[in-house]
Amino acid sequence: MFIVSGKTAAIKTTSYKVVLPFYVYAAVSFLVATFFLFFNSGTFLNHYFHPHTLAITHIMALGWGTMIILGASHQLVPVIIEGKLYSEKLAMASFICAAIGIPLLVYGFYYFKMGAPAKWGGRFVLVAIILYLINLWKSISQSKSENVQAIFVFTSVLWLFVTAALGLALVYNFTYIMFPKGSLHYLPLHVHAGVIGWFLLLILGVGSRLIPMFLISKYQNIKLLWYIYFLINSGLVGYILLFYTSSLEVLLFIPIAFILIAIALFIYYCYCAYKQRIRKQVDDQMKISLLSIGMILLPIILISIIIVMLMSFSINKTNLVLSYGFLIFFGWITAIILGMTFKTLPFIVWNKVYHTRSAVGKTPTPKDLFSAPVFKWMGIFYIAGFIAFVLGITFSILILIQIGAILLIISAALYNTNVFKLITHKANNNE
Amino acid sequence: MNEVTNNNIKCTLALTALHDVYDPEIGLNVVDLGLIYELNFDDAEKKVTCIMTLTTEFCPMGESIVDNVKQALGATFPGETIEVNLIFEPAWNYDKISEEGREFLNG
Repeated sequence: MFIVSGKTAAIKTTSYKVVLPFYVYAAVSFLVATFFLFFNSGTFLNHYFHPHTLAITHIMALGWGTMIILGASHQLVPVIIEGKLYSEKLAMASFICAAIGIPLLVYGFYYFKMGAPAKWGGRFVLVAIILYLINLWKSISQSKSENVQAIFVFTSVLWLFVTAALGLALVYNFTYIMFPKGSLHYLPLHVHAGVIGWFLLLILGVGSRLIPMFLISKYQNIKLLWYIYFLINSGLVGYILLFYTSSLEVLLFIPIAFILIAIALFIYYCYCAYKQRIRKQVDDQMKISLLSIGMILLPIILISIIIVMLMSFSINKTNLVLSYGFLIFFGWITAIILGMTFKTLPFIVWNKVYHTRSAVGKTPTPKDLFSAPVFKWMGIFYIAGFIAFVLGITFSILILIQIGAILLIISAALYNTNVFKLITHKANNNE
Repeated sequence: MNEVTNNNIKCTLALTALHDVYDPEIGLNVVDLGLIYELNFDDAEKKVTCIMTLTTEFCPMGESIVDNVKQALGATFPGETIEVNLIFEPAWNYDKISEEGREFLNG
């Protein structure tokens, strides 16, 4: 007879049935986005406010980045808040709403149909975020533990809500006059609430817990994390206030400096965790994730150059704005996802397949469930494609953009190969 | 060694079995990882009680690790009741990793 007593609730994790659909959706979205890059490569020689660019950006921001982060966070939130996820049904409902909303929104942007398709897409996405917010709030309020990482995650989802609500309002602004100026004017607010408030805050918050955990590092510095939290939020709020109240572009360097200091402090945090690690070997997935932290600096440097050029009045900055967006979505967000997918998904699948088998006979380790050479080649094609595409946009060279897109398609295909190899994995009868 | 026991012979048998239960993320067995706090053997009741912890509460691999501890002990002591008592006080920390475990992680 087997009995488990004590704190048994602490071993009930989120079901793989809830988490896996997010990963699959995200993987397919990444591949679709890279095909869109190739078939719309000429678009990247035009202005950034182009229907096709908007469509690709939203596939990447919502279908790829947000979907995989939502999926992973349903699994990781219990670890971070030290409490159970409130509702798996709410998580599934959130997935369904997002899964319906994103293609509608992308279709609306691609064909510039700002009526029903884009509006319904935006509404579904907003409902998905509200459902996630409720789930997170209820989970945190039931948990006994209050920690800085939980505050990071919750605040980031609030920013995601602001981003989506503003985005939907901007869609409405095409057909009803909701704002005094056109939607293009408010685009920087929408973009930065999403990029800084949602992606950056969430990745740093979750990363501050996972990076020391995966490195098996003793390092902890809660005070430093609070500094980072306040710097990012005050930088973002400061940016919004300056956006509305000041016409002096030079003042925008103040919030940029706040964000830059926050990122520098986070790099220092990762460095300390790395130095104090107990496990000396660092695997490829962690290397690519740590690399992505450094890649955050690239868009920050570029936005500073853009502002300097904006102040000089005479220089065309369109290609630099496109490069800035590309560095964010195909740069650090994609890099950290490429690495972290293979730090989280193999364990979810391993848990599903080998849950009760590892003490009975020899079982593969989670790392054995995907192909390491495919992962390595995915990384090589990704870095080569990323560099070619960025150079292509920055210097407006179409052939480089196309080569970059092809390399990224290969990288996305290799990523999908490994993801589908993982999720279709079955135990060998001999195991 | 972190473990406390009331029967050294049976404890050795149990620890040998638990050396085959791994934390799949770290790749280290639960004994060297320092997750096993206490092993008690009640011969009259035919019961084995394992008091253990996890590296973190709500560890995604927690259920799997606990199930595998139960199975390993069940296979070593057939016919006996196996109780796994999961506690988080005292909390696990890196100092609980054994010397052998540290050597493995440094390798």
